[in-house]
Amino acid sequence: MASLRLQGLTKRFGDVVAVHELTLEVPSGELVALLGPSGCGKTTTLRMVAGFDVPTRGRIVLGDRDITADPPERRDCGMVFQHYALFPHLTVEQNVAFGLEMRGLRRPDVERRVGEILERVGLGGLGRRYPRQLSGGQQQRTALARALVISPRVLLLDEPLANLDAKLREEMRFYIRSLQREFHITTLYVTHDQAEALVLADRVAVLMNGRLQQVGAPEEIYHRPRTPAVAAFIGLTNLLPGRVTGRSGERLVLETPAGTVRAAGAPDLREGMEAMLSVRPEHIELDRPGEPASRDGVNRLRGVVQERTFLGSLIDFRVDVGGGVLLRVQGRGGAPQRVGEQVSVSFDTTAAWALPRREG
Amino acid sequence: MLRRGERVWLNAAVALVYAFLLAPIVIVVLAALNAGAYLRFPPEGLSLRWFVAFAQSRSFTRSLAFSLKLAATATVLSTVLGTMASLWLVRFGGRLRTTLRILLTAPLAVPGILTGIALLIFFYALGWGKTGFGGLVIGHTLICIPYVFLITSAVLVRFDQSLEEAARNLGASPFATFRRVTLPLIKGGVISGAIFAFVTSYDEFNISLLLSGVGNTPLPIQLFDYLRFSFDPTAAVAGTISIAMAVVVVLLTQRLVGLESLYMGGG
Repeated sequence: MASLRLQGLTKRFGDVVAVHELTLEVPSGELVALLGPSGCGKTTTLRMVAGFDVPTRGRIVLGDRDITADPPERRDCGMVFQHYALFPHLTVEQNVAFGLEMRGLRRPDVERRVGEILERVGLGGLGRRYPRQLSGGQQQRTALARALVISPRVLLLDEPLANLDAKLREEMRFYIRSLQREFHITTLYVTHDQAEALVLADRVAVLMNGRLQQVGAPEEIYHRPRTPAVAAFIGLTNLLPGRVTGRSGERLVLETPAGTVRAAGAPDLREGMEAMLSVRPEHIELDRPGEPASRDGVNRLRGVVQERTFLGSLIDFRVDVGGGVLLRVQGRGGAPQRVGEQVSVSFDTTAAWALPRREG
Repeated sequence: MLRRGERVWLNAAVALVYAFLLAPIVIVVLAALNAGAYLRFPPEGLSLRWFVAFAQSRSFTRSLAFSLKLAATATVLSTVLGTMASLWLVRFGGRLRTTLRILLTAPLAVPGILTGIALLIFFYALGWGKTGFGGLVIGHTLICIPYVFLITSAVLVRFDQSLEEAARNLGASPFATFRRVTLPLIKGGVISGAIFAFVTSYDEFNISLLLSGVGNTPLPIQLFDYLRFSFDPTAAVAGTISIAMAVVVVLLTQRLVGLESLYMGGG
């Protein structure tokens, strides 16, 4: 198994910079999700790794070999395409055997390995079918089998679940994860679906406008986003503008339009800096008003319920906390608060995250 | 849903169209089976004597063989060239695409006799007056290319290129990718194009008229020469043979590419 390193990878299409100075490492055996909105350059990055697009600048190193200039057939990357790209004129077996035949394996070896992998992905007995005779999930498994059977040094997945219905998608997430662990294969997984990235990845790399925003473990990306853009893209969050006015122990003190808030913050935030405060709706609690100023470790604001939306297991509130700020709050299913009611809004100082306000 | 009255009219119209299309064929075949001495309809009794006469005529059998050889050569050349042209144009044509497409299909729009005259002048300018078989092959290939090009392009436009990328990704060289993935998927279009090319070449009159010489006479020209002096059913026999060939070609297409190519998405 080998690690995959992208070094200063840049791709221009005419005047458009699709990927800008991307440096990223996928350690051996890990699954890194390249996450971003459509058009952020993630698919272009994957295509450069596979050898279908030529980088304008930068290097791609697989293990100890620089593969930047190699043609696709000599890169030893297994790829699963968004629409699977199964050969329609070949059966499942022939599709899976294709890569082995291209490697010049002898017939009995090809048959044995194809049989093994088809059993492994649960397609034993469907080998004689044509791709059009398979369901979406089965096509997906065929594509995975075809990519894995050649024992590639790195597995590339391009939005592999985008064409499945919601339920199957959920199932396949865990399936791909367990397969990847079992084969212990270095994997670069491109997706625009943050839930998918958080569930699947050892590390998540967030790409926006062709620039890498942040790389980190899923928890880190979720709880400690480094830019407002990342905070807004991953999950739901409330973003409040503010200014750092001081420190109180471990916490920063911020002045926001809704009042003074204490929060954890990025280490590079200094007093007097403009900041953005991110508070996730699920971290906010609603109470009857009455309990006064903030206790230690808890921020408390007063507000009025503006909207209440029933979502089944949750209730989605919008609470006006003054200063023109509407906070989104997710309460448990039985939350009693009504529209127009005075409430107290509280959240832990550790659940509030301050980050520098800059464009990104 | 059609009402009863409307259906009757529709059936009548369809029958008329078919009659219009098929009547000449029926007449030619019946005329070929005529027992009488002249080309006429209705036939004066049925016989195969004119088929025998055709088979015994050296000039007819020779020009039939010549036509088949010419059509086969032009088909191979135009299929290879037309397929290569459409591959390049569909994939890499860029801004030149429209211009080149018009140029490649120009032989369809330009009257054949003009193409023939142009070729004749061109060959003479090269000092290559008596071109014989070579000149005819060039002319026929020229007018066959548009058919191959258009049909193959139609298939290629729908071709999902990620299939080729998948093949490369799995270790196939560009050539192996073409042979194992691209060609099998577009073969419906290529074969249809080749069949069109063959029929077009076999039927071609204008260019052949200008470029053929002694000993290099395709069947249509031979037929034309023959009819100028004699008006017997041998000509109808030649026509009947052509019709039979067309039927075989249609059945062959159906067999080789018909349903299968519809299935394969790409082909």
